[in-house]
Amino acid sequence: MRKKYTPTTLFTEFILLAVCIVFMVPIYYLFVSTFKTQREIVEAPLALPSSLNLVNYMRALETMDFFRHFFNSLLITSLSVILIVVLGSMAAYAIARRPNRLTKFLRSYFLIGFMVPLQTTMLPLFLIMKHLGLINTYQGLIFLHSNGAVFALFLYTDFIRAMPRDLEEASFVDGAGVFRTFWQIVFPLLRPVTATLVIFNTIWIWNDFLLSYLFLSSNDKSTLIMQVYNGVGLYFTDWSIMMPVLVLAVTPMIIFYIVMQRHIVAGLTAGSLRG
Amino acid sequence: MSKKTLVQSFGNELPWLLLVAPAFLIYTVLTIIPLFHTFFYSFTNFNGLAPNPDFVGLDNYLRVFSTRAVSTSFSNSIVYAVAVPLIITLLAIPLALLLDSQMRTRHLQRAIFFFPSVISALFLGYIWNFVLSPSSQGLINSLLLSSGQRKMLLLADPKAAMALLILVTVWTSTGWHSCFYLANLQVIDQALYEAASIDGAGAMQRFRFITFPNLAPAMTISVLFLLLNSLKVFDLPFSLTEGGPGYATTMVTQSIITEGINSNRIGFASAMSIMFLALIALVTFFQVGVMSRREEKLA
Repeated sequence: MRKKYTPTTLFTEFILLAVCIVFMVPIYYLFVSTFKTQREIVEAPLALPSSLNLVNYMRALETMDFFRHFFNSLLITSLSVILIVVLGSMAAYAIARRPNRLTKFLRSYFLIGFMVPLQTTMLPLFLIMKHLGLINTYQGLIFLHSNGAVFALFLYTDFIRAMPRDLEEASFVDGAGVFRTFWQIVFPLLRPVTATLVIFNTIWIWNDFLLSYLFLSSNDKSTLIMQVYNGVGLYFTDWSIMMPVLVLAVTPMIIFYIVMQRHIVAGLTAGSLRG
Repeated sequence: MSKKTLVQSFGNELPWLLLVAPAFLIYTVLTIIPLFHTFFYSFTNFNGLAPNPDFVGLDNYLRVFSTRAVSTSFSNSIVYAVAVPLIITLLAIPLALLLDSQMRTRHLQRAIFFFPSVISALFLGYIWNFVLSPSSQGLINSLLLSSGQRKMLLLADPKAAMALLILVTVWTSTGWHSCFYLANLQVIDQALYEAASIDGAGAMQRFRFITFPNLAPAMTISVLFLLLNSLKVFDLPFSLTEGGPGYATTMVTQSIITEGINSNRIGFASAMSIMFLALIALVTFFQVGVMSRREEKLA
């Protein structure tokens, strides 16, 4: 009944496309402005640029040291995501496959923290990290991000519980230990959950501002997001630098989105993602 | 149990314990211990430096209500956390229905509406700042000026700032939330619609009696995340308005950071954190309770 293309569909298609165009105006404005002079921006803000002027980009690249901060973000994001996946899946395996009093307690113990927002723990965390000398270090920020393993743990536990045990039992009979069975047999089977977790944690950690604002604000180690913030303090009134800086900073995630779009939508549609 | 079997059973359990140990340690250090610290600090005048803070009882909690900047941040967060979920839900459901139709460009449109969700909220705030800036170089103001009208205060207007912040939030998150509903629409039993057509139900009746109640599972998740994320919001108001003008858009998170980390009033800020946690817990229990009852009715 809803499989037909009717005149009404055509009508909504036009209306919704118009909404899409309005929706994208801020992005379009940001993008076209980067090729314009300050005067052009004010006089004809929505017009296409008169020439493809790349001077603004050159100046932006000089001021922000793009590649250095890009690699900082890449390092922090990839190591954090690996830790989340490894620690979350390991813990989930024990909780899902070894139901005893201790693991049941652990499950509820982890569930409490699920509710506790960073806002409630960040002040002591700031003091603890300062005490441990982990402020303004990569390892400090990665350590903080690895707490995302708790979220991963719940997704993995549900998935493992629904999995048949035959392969694991065969592996135990063959004399393999818990660790070997987990890494060789179980972990490869967790791929769908791992894929979802990798994609969404990458987006969240890459885009994180609050944690890096509190724990890694130094100029040379900061992430791309943080560096844009640092730059804002210096250049915000000069839009001819700020706008290309933002376009450059947004690009990695846009590419990631285009490449991963199918998986992102699949992850959401599967309902496996609750965040 | 003899000594041998005890050792044996420990040997059996050990590898399983080692699997959980790292996650357990990290979580304990990063969530549980700080939670107790915050609770403890909230009854003291701790400033982050002096080793032996004094107990001040409930003073910090009472001061939350009497310090204007702080109580304003709580009421701002509450206004924001009521308006944002309400508006986004009212828009996300119809958007999901439209995107579920047979439009030829539906995939492109989904991609466009979802797109802001993958961009850092900090950047989105800056981008909108270019549009809504009170200066004459902002997009809205330069359009107004070039058409011979007077420029507006926009983000610098204390009365308009909150409304604009809510508008920008709606822009950033409606696409993501309509994805929850879109996914839910795929699993509604089509036989229900066929039966309704036979009974002569119109489009409005089909929506009211079939589609809407069957979207309950998506609504539970979507509204819960809208509520929690709106209460916790930091990046977007911080980059869009820096909490201003005055305290017009200062949210609880920003207020906790200003009081606790920038002004070293850890004790006071801890009391705010604990009150915030109570608010989050209250909202979660209430929301999950109400919403899952709707889901049960469905089953």
